[in-house]
Amino acid sequence: MTTESDKLESLVNRRYEHGFVTDIAADTMPPGLDEDVVRAISARKNEPEFMLEWRLRAYRQWRQMQEPTWAHVHYPPIDFEAISYFSAPMSDDDRPKSLDDVDPKLLETYDKLGIPLHERARLAGVAVDAVFDSVSVATTFKKKLSEAGVIFCPFSEAVENHPELVRKYLGSVVPQRDNFYASLNSAVFSDGSFVYIPKGVRCPMELSTYFRINAANTGQFERTLIIADEGSHVSYLEGCTAPMRDENQLHAAVVELVALGDAEIKYSTVQNWYPGDENGKGGIYNFVTKRGDCRGANSKISWTQVETGSAITWKYPSCILRGDNSVGEFYSVAVANNYQQADTGTKMIHIGRNTSSTIVSKGISAGHAQNAYRGLVRVMPQADGARNHTQCDSLLIGKECGAHTFPYMEIKNPGAKVEHEATTSKISANQLFYCRQRGISEEDAVNMIVNGFCKEVFKELPMEFAVEAQALLNVSLEGAVG
Amino acid sequence: MLEINDLKASIGGTEILRGLSLNVSAGEVHAIMGPNGSGKSTLAQVIAGHADYEVSSGTVTYMGENLLDLEPEERAREGIFLGFQYPVEIPGVNNAYLLKAAVNARRKHEGLAEIDAFEFLKLAKEKMALLDMDPKLLNRGVNEGFSGGEKKRNEILQMAMLEPKLAILDETDSGLDIDALRAVAKGVNALRSADRAIVLVTHYQRLLDYVEPDHVHVLSQGRIARSGDKSLALQLEEKGYDWVREAANG
Amino acid sequence: MKPATLSYDALLASVEKLPDDGLAVTRRAALDHLHKHGLPTTRHEDWKYTDLTKIVDIGNQFLDGQWDQPTSQATGDLVNSIRDSIEADWLVMSNGIIDQESIAGLGQTGISVTRLSEADGEMEFSTPLSDLNAALLYDGLRIHVAADAALTRPIGILLVDDATTSPGMSQTRIEIELAASSTASFIEYHASSGSADHYANSVSNLKLGDNSHADYVRIQERDRSHNQTNRLTVGLGRDSRFNHCAFDFGGRLVRNDLTVDIAHPGATAAFDGLYLAGGQQHIDNHTRADHRVGPGISHQEYRGIMTGHARGVWNGKAIVHDGADGTDAEQANHNLLLSDKAEIDAKPELEIYADDVKCSHGTTVGQLDETALFYLRTRGLNEHEAKQILTRAFAQAIVSKSPIDSIHEMLTTKIAERLSGLMQGVEA
Repeated sequence: MTTESDKLESLVNRRYEHGFVTDIAADTMPPGLDEDVVRAISARKNEPEFMLEWRLRAYRQWRQMQEPTWAHVHYPPIDFEAISYFSAPMSDDDRPKSLDDVDPKLLETYDKLGIPLHERARLAGVAVDAVFDSVSVATTFKKKLSEAGVIFCPFSEAVENHPELVRKYLGSVVPQRDNFYASLNSAVFSDGSFVYIPKGVRCPMELSTYFRINAANTGQFERTLIIADEGSHVSYLEGCTAPMRDENQLHAAVVELVALGDAEIKYSTVQNWYPGDENGKGGIYNFVTKRGDCRGANSKISWTQVETGSAITWKYPSCILRGDNSVGEFYSVAVANNYQQADTGTKMIHIGRNTSSTIVSKGISAGHAQNAYRGLVRVMPQADGARNHTQCDSLLIGKECGAHTFPYMEIKNPGAKVEHEATTSKISANQLFYCRQRGISEEDAVNMIVNGFCKEVFKELPMEFAVEAQALLNVSLEGAVG
Repeated sequence: MLEINDLKASIGGTEILRGLSLNVSAGEVHAIMGPNGSGKSTLAQVIAGHADYEVSSGTVTYMGENLLDLEPEERAREGIFLGFQYPVEIPGVNNAYLLKAAVNARRKHEGLAEIDAFEFLKLAKEKMALLDMDPKLLNRGVNEGFSGGEKKRNEILQMAMLEPKLAILDETDSGLDIDALRAVAKGVNALRSADRAIVLVTHYQRLLDYVEPDHVHVLSQGRIARSGDKSLALQLEEKGYDWVREAANG
Repeated sequence: MKPATLSYDALLASVEKLPDDGLAVTRRAALDHLHKHGLPTTRHEDWKYTDLTKIVDIGNQFLDGQWDQPTSQATGDLVNSIRDSIEADWLVMSNGIIDQESIAGLGQTGISVTRLSEADGEMEFSTPLSDLNAALLYDGLRIHVAADAALTRPIGILLVDDATTSPGMSQTRIEIELAASSTASFIEYHASSGSADHYANSVSNLKLGDNSHADYVRIQERDRSHNQTNRLTVGLGRDSRFNHCAFDFGGRLVRNDLTVDIAHPGATAAFDGLYLAGGQQHIDNHTRADHRVGPGISHQEYRGIMTGHARGVWNGKAIVHDGADGTDAEQANHNLLLSDKAEIDAKPELEIYADDVKCSHGTTVGQLDETALFYLRTRGLNEHEAKQILTRAFAQAIVSKSPIDSIHEMLTTKIAERLSGLMQGVEA
């Protein structure tokens, strides 16, 4: 069992450590952030004046702000002047030329996770032109989407081709000065995804499929904006189950979702950034602001996340339930092993009448990890008939880890019904012995129990991802018991 | 099939088994009786390989091999089944799922192909009918919220599906009303065969009215104080455990 | 400018006016500590929902006034009526001044009561409000229950204040120690009268010796224009038992902190509470249970009913420290909101650093059960009556858990009175 997990650890570590020491490609700005850097970023992307102004406003506000310290995480101070805020995607010279050049153990992990063959090359960072077939597949998808009137493109392309939509919705859910990291992102974001689903359109495919094949390395300050116009429907999947190569230590992404009347957005995330080694060295700081605005009546936004990666995760995908009868959902599995720290949860802000929200959070702590759920349910005075149900469970594996729950309930309406339940359990020696007596190995027994613990969340994932997510969890917890 | 020779075992520094010897052959049904604290459950746990119990001396040979060298799951795959006195609840893990995983672990060990889902379900339902079990229990969490009787029947169901060579049932009859006891006994009797050995660990004579043992052993203070045929159980019922204890001391 | 600060100069002047007794050194040390750390603002996580500005205003006005020494006011009627309604041995403090006669009048054996100023003057202070308390304390009580003693009558601690004309502020402090294997019960009763602004700040420390048992009921029935902060810190010895129940009926701005520390194995703490608030009342209960070793049990249930513009705050925190295996911690909080402007902010927190633990919490905010209401109406009750019955039953659940049986009836009556006042909408 240890050898298995050692193998995995070493393979993951080697890849990532390699990433961190790689010389950054030539097209990189010197470290540090001032107005000139913001101007330069905007200029390089050929942005219109309004975008530059928008970035500068964010930058000036960011300068006035303090880094937040309230989360239940600990890390040395980040030197924001030591970060380079613009680097072009890695040049092809730095990439492996084909799968033959990729560490065979990384490929073994892909195999374990059941990643389709044609995706492995992209995930391993093989130069794009070596990835067979993806261009034609992507073209087919693109055609199908444009027939439906769906806009799905890199953010910078949207700024160029659909400035009116960007102008109208950018920052309308997460304002520039929302929080320290959101402000930073607003000032320097490199690229990201833009989605617009026209009125009454049901997006003809899971945007995940397309995304997984086509999305390039969008960098550390990613920005996503999804607008579902009246009566439309979209399911979007971000991330993937394979360990992701990345050179940047700090990730500060922003995701904004807007659901107009009767629209529905389902946003699923699988986050598997490099978590650091078994001693807690290295790893990604994942400080993300994700928020959805149920702006119209009868709209629905549903967040599902499986978080297994990153050294530190700080993330609270939220719903503003503005429209009457709107619905917000949050389903989360957060796994923290070794020295990982996760402080994650959600906010449900009930404003409209008869709004309802559901929160299901499953936290798994192992090794020396600290895993915190932090959630807010706020019912505003006008939100008659608001309903919330929160279920928040922690599973502990081992003696050195921590599991924490910090739920906030702020209820200002007498018609609200809010229920919060939390439990803590551990995988007991008795359970493991019982399974082993039935001939099931300890590791399989742990996987069975963990998957059972998480199944309420897995069932919310798009089908093909649920299977991968289970496999991912098993890989993430390898060696946790014993 | 199973040879235990002068076995000494302790838990948390307290010696429970103090030189126990026992031979069980294929086709036999043994009943091990004894008062609380005599070491009945410890014997069952040691045979199954529970890590909390430390074997300080003695040998346990199973099918000619040193059993004590094997991990619990290896023992299980070699055909040892323990019916737990207190079956463990595993919330969230589907009962059918565990059962199938267990059956396949055994099959894999024997070089057989995995059981087909349809075949598995059919088999499980047949066995459940025999035990008078509600088929819905298959889709619940393992023992989660089961009544005492349902838990014990579930143990017998697992045994029936796994078809062990050596089955040890640790107080499977305790806490059962008469209907459940009959159902459990029916399940056990259905498994009696010439190539299988069954060890019934029990506190009460009652079970032996329904499952007739070939040998009865009485455990006292970590040793077998007396062995005999089923008449010993009746004698015990009549005279109580003090009789054995006195006999052992005297 | 810091948002809420007591004038240091005025504080210093006041401290200097207090007697040069056994407490003098501690008062200065506490003042320094307070000066260094300041009072909390709503930016502090523990004070997110409770703003001390009003209390600071009263404090500053009081300190600026011509108080030489606090004097016992005409609180006699209030004291007598409470003494008459509850069977207990009463210790009385009026406006922070100890009634010496009440100490002398204690009739039970196994208990000794002294003034803090007579003793070595040592007091614990670690939080801003316990700093303030220690700095401005005129005098406090030390209660000691002898080993193996089993007190037959509850010890009543009556803390009354009167604010007739000018803003008042009072500090009271009770240090209680139960020696090994002793048993005692306590009723801490807060009441006040007068139409001027008032702020009372009380601190109690309870130390339970090995295998001792304390029952502790706190009843707070201050005038609904008066303010209070209260802290009870409990340290549990090996195999000791602590049963606590708190009832908040009165007060304008009320903040109660209960801290339970389990540092020895086998200890059991049950602490429950009920808060009923209407009008402009703001009642905040913060509890914290530290499990430092196992096995140990902490179970708590708080219930609240809010109407008018009232705001309830409940924050329960259970921390299971590294190595506290065998901990069983349970938190429950249930709230009823009866008016459009009422509010509840609830925050049940678990911090767990051990794995062999059983922890859970449940919180609900809602209304009366519609089915039960309907059922009662089909039995001939009108809607108002049916609501009254169900609301009382909701509150009564806490009375049933309250440890001192002899006051259940009195509490039931008080709850019924308070609820009928709240539900008639007079405080909307």
